[in-house]
Amino acid sequence: MTVRNCGALAALAAGVAALTVATLVACNSQPAGNVGAEEASTLAASATPSAADADPSVPVAAGELPAGAGIVPPVRLVIPGIDVTATVNAVGINERTNEFEVPPSVDQIGWYRYGPGLEADAGSVVIAGHVDSAKQGKGAFFRLRELDQGDTLTATGSDGKAREYRVVAREEYAKTKIPLERYFARDGKPRLTLITCGGPFDAKARKYRDNIVVTAVPA
Amino acid sequence: MQLSYFRRVAAGGAVAALAFAGVAAFTASPAYAATSKVSVVHGIPDTPVDVYVNGKKTLNNFKPGDVAGPLNLAEGEYDIALTKPGEPVGSAILKVDNAEVPGGANISLAAHLDAAGKPKITPFVNDVSKVDAGKARLIVRHTAAAPAVDVRAGGTPVFKGLTNPKEAKADVDAGTVKADVVLAGTDTVAIGPADLNLKEGTATIVYAIGSAEDKNLDVVAQTITGLHSAPGGVPSGDGGQAGTGVQTWWYALAGAGVLMLLGGGVRMATARTGRK
Repeated sequence: MTVRNCGALAALAAGVAALTVATLVACNSQPAGNVGAEEASTLAASATPSAADADPSVPVAAGELPAGAGIVPPVRLVIPGIDVTATVNAVGINERTNEFEVPPSVDQIGWYRYGPGLEADAGSVVIAGHVDSAKQGKGAFFRLRELDQGDTLTATGSDGKAREYRVVAREEYAKTKIPLERYFARDGKPRLTLITCGGPFDAKARKYRDNIVVTAVPA
Repeated sequence: MQLSYFRRVAAGGAVAALAFAGVAAFTASPAYAATSKVSVVHGIPDTPVDVYVNGKKTLNNFKPGDVAGPLNLAEGEYDIALTKPGEPVGSAILKVDNAEVPGGANISLAAHLDAAGKPKITPFVNDVSKVDAGKARLIVRHTAAAPAVDVRAGGTPVFKGLTNPKEAKADVDAGTVKADVVLAGTDTVAIGPADLNLKEGTATIVYAIGSAEDKNLDVVAQTITGLHSAPGGVPSGDGGQAGTGVQTWWYALAGAGVLMLLGGGVRMATARTGRK
């Protein structure tokens, strides 16, 4: 075998190796994909009153000042399938950005305190957590995109009661397109909505392009 | 006495009818919007009533301090009459004929005392536009036989110089505030203080009712829900470890691989040709 031939073979081998690595990386970088999107959107549909009930029994209530309702905030979330056991904080809105105030500590997650609590018989209980952080590494929801239909999770409320949920959908949306009104709805079937970041990462802006949304219903 | 009372009420009715026309004029009603939501608020002390809409009894023994509705009323004109409980509509103590209900609006009809203590009905158009995430809307309506008032939250006046039958409103941070009503420009408390729980995404409408002279000033509250907005976004990661999709280096690697394959193949081919 000539030297020249050897060089050619080596180049071929290196080329194959490079392409193999590239292919592997590309395969691993596929988005998680959506499952159950239709079911998730059905849950958000609220019953519309028919025109027929325009009349009669008009509801009458005492015009008392509104009292604080007995909302049950989730305090702990356990998702065995992806090894999550996280403390849940009640959070609101970042005044400056008008965005969801995800707890800064990446091992903690945040419940949207303006929406329904675990006691609610309608609407979406929203919990969001970091996928990761540049300073702190992997977050509580790093593996959220691995969840699939049928996976179970347990949310424990401040009342000490553990409530089981079953995943029905996992969706990925560009942050510019995500229908947030649907996930922050206070009507429709009772459901638990978990949100984190995902998709391609823009290293310059230090931002993910997408949101990963997992929808679960009471099991 | 009876006659003078009737005249007073009739005058009140005329005023209310004018107010209705005002509501219609100021409420742009889109062509597609057919029905309006109409609530009725009872702010006349000590006077339970039956409420008739177009001659049909709609509310039975409606008590002071209560809020009824919302009713879905198609756009159009309505005759509204209040009678003493059990009395026929013909002997109404307060009535408004041809009240215009615009389409697609949310309206509260307040039966209350005017500044001089005469019963009347005032229609208010409720602001049901969305509030920003984290906010609540507070609307205060002066529907009491009392002079101008200031409304204070945590001791600070938030609405000043409110007079019957006007309203003042603001979108504020959701949460609980301690509120009271004082005579305008003074620290003389007329109503309260009371804890106001302003729930995010709702409008809380507080009516000051009753009469200062009769020392029965009070409040009636009405809440409208479903005005919430979603947050602007959910930022939840800046590490990049979970990034999917390929980066620049991937294209470089794949490109190099292709070039090497091509180059190696050509060299092999030429080498073979050369040996022949």
